[in-house]
Amino acid sequence: MPPIRRLLIANRGEIAVRIVRACRDLGIAPLAVYAPIDAGAPHVRGADEAFALPGDAPRDSYLNGPLLIGLAQRAGADAIHPGYGFLAENATFAAACEAAGVTFVGPPGSVLDRCGDKAAARAAAASAGVPVLPGTSPVTDDDALREAGAIGFPVLIKAVGGGGGKGIHLVRAPEDLPGAMRLARGEAQAAFGDPRVYLERWIEPSQHIEVQILADAAGSVIHLGERACSVQRRHQKLIEEAPAPGLDPDLRETMGRAAIAVARALGYCNAGTVEFLVSGDEFYFLEVNARIQVEHPVTEIVTGCDLVAAQLAIAGGAPLPVRQEDIRPSGCAIECRIGAEDPHNDFLPSVGRFDGVVEPAGPGIRVDSGLWAGQSVSRHFDPLLAKVIASGPTRAVAIARMRRALAEFFVSGLDTTIPFHLWALEQPGFVAGRYDVRFAEGWGHGPDSPGADRLAVLAAAAWAHRRIEIPTLPTDGASPRWIAAAREEGLR
Amino acid sequence: MIFDITVRGQQRRVEVDRRGGDLLVRMEGAAEVVRLEPAAGSEWWRLEVGGRAIPVRLHARDGEVLATLGAVRVMVGVRRSLPIRSRRFPAAEGDGRVEVRAPMPGLVTATPLAHGEAVERGGTVAIVEAMKMQMEVPTPAAGRIEEVRVQPGQEVAGGQVLVVVRASSAEDPGKANPEGSEKAHP
Repeated sequence: MPPIRRLLIANRGEIAVRIVRACRDLGIAPLAVYAPIDAGAPHVRGADEAFALPGDAPRDSYLNGPLLIGLAQRAGADAIHPGYGFLAENATFAAACEAAGVTFVGPPGSVLDRCGDKAAARAAAASAGVPVLPGTSPVTDDDALREAGAIGFPVLIKAVGGGGGKGIHLVRAPEDLPGAMRLARGEAQAAFGDPRVYLERWIEPSQHIEVQILADAAGSVIHLGERACSVQRRHQKLIEEAPAPGLDPDLRETMGRAAIAVARALGYCNAGTVEFLVSGDEFYFLEVNARIQVEHPVTEIVTGCDLVAAQLAIAGGAPLPVRQEDIRPSGCAIECRIGAEDPHNDFLPSVGRFDGVVEPAGPGIRVDSGLWAGQSVSRHFDPLLAKVIASGPTRAVAIARMRRALAEFFVSGLDTTIPFHLWALEQPGFVAGRYDVRFAEGWGHGPDSPGADRLAVLAAAAWAHRRIEIPTLPTDGASPRWIAAAREEGLR
Repeated sequence: MIFDITVRGQQRRVEVDRRGGDLLVRMEGAAEVVRLEPAAGSEWWRLEVGGRAIPVRLHARDGEVLATLGAVRVMVGVRRSLPIRSRRFPAAEGDGRVEVRAPMPGLVTATPLAHGEAVERGGTVAIVEAMKMQMEVPTPAAGRIEEVRVQPGQEVAGGQVLVVVRASSAEDPGKANPEGSEKAHP
């Protein structure tokens, strides 16, 4: 395969910006595509060329495989990077790319098929001597109850099409299964264009720890250490870190070797993640995420390896850029996902328009962001807006830097998950590095503080005074109360 | 400017006045110098108070103001307390007796007028101190001092009656409007 020279980025938001940056570092021409709502987004402005897609709905835009391949061909792109989500793990799309003479940046379709067939992936892991949890192949609604009974409750329903928390439902009792199956299928269809789901045994308490792997077309496989991803809500990761705090060095070593064994058993190629559930000293293979992951930056920081650049190099036919013995993770990196959700209101998606954004910077801070002032957040897409990655020689330094960075991060116009992160970074369990997948439940609807009440009153009074003293023209967002107050003022 | 501000069901009377580039905010017997500067977009502000600068997001939702400080969100009800009654019924007169109340909790430092003394509308009937800020408490009606219920050195609660004035009917347009009692316009 020849090296990539022009790359079509079939994604949006922060990951599209990330891929544009990798292209610039490598001298590759980045080409963007955009749904109407993303016109003017940073990934569009950063690309050499950008192509409009016909609609905002994913099936018209970033899930529209034939259209994207056609655009790549017309634009003279020699490769397509799917990012994560959307078409990233779609074997049919990967195969269609290869058939059209466009390199798919990711594993070949046959490998995606094997990883997507969760039962096959589990069997491959088991044959490689890696412990697995009981689970099923893609199930029909009719078989679900019987198969769930066979593996034992609680079970997790997961989407075959991909991750990101979409389509994942935890079911503790048989009577809850049919409703959860319906929800899961609907979410999976909307997010990945694939309604298939499968079941997996769930254990509590547990930690979610995953191992990053890189494999080239010649069959060399290395691992780049682990990430701890146990701060989750509705199976959506919120905070990830590398290395996993408190992980026994022998267990870390064993899991690294297990990840390589699974990758070899699947004939894996390109970047991927092997997910494990860890409970005490035991670990179980869950699945392979056959894509670049949202949380890849924490691994990049502690290993010094640019994973997106490695993906592009491997897709261009190059051997692995590093050897296993060169991977010596050092320091600590933590990532907070900033999403357009209201943590004080059950993490409801926040839809609307930003009118101001100030992103943090400074020592030890990396911001991967697709945010822009004037951006509209629509119901069509994942709420992830940006990621703040803080790093330092120790975990304590990284946490302090993250607190500083999040206090500098201003997003005006919509709710974001930043308040949740500020809370998490103060929790003794998180600070001590002792937390499991239930950690985020401690948030509830957010903390109270009498000190904050007093400051809130002062701020609200000063704000109200200012709004009366400095009249502004009513806008769409103006509260009727303020308009009424202004009228009363006018009467005096 | 006076606001009635409600947080978690507790209502506070908050008075905000300009002091140069700053605001003087008086509530619950305390006065604080506050500055609020725009930080980002329409919602993010920098609240300077007590030698600290605190980022705060303020946005309106369903008629309330939501204040987000760090991880904490506080729902704040803000209502302008407009002294319209003093325009329409300047004497705020009911049965001829006008109760002059403490605008906030504090320490009475002086009651300049004694029983029987005449007072003009707007004349000072008491001085109340809170957080080293002294405030003159004016009478809304002209007349004679009928009762002085507090003495210097006494702690008073917000809304406590300090002085009662017997309004003089001659210059009391409120007389012409017997409905214009203070009770009708609390």
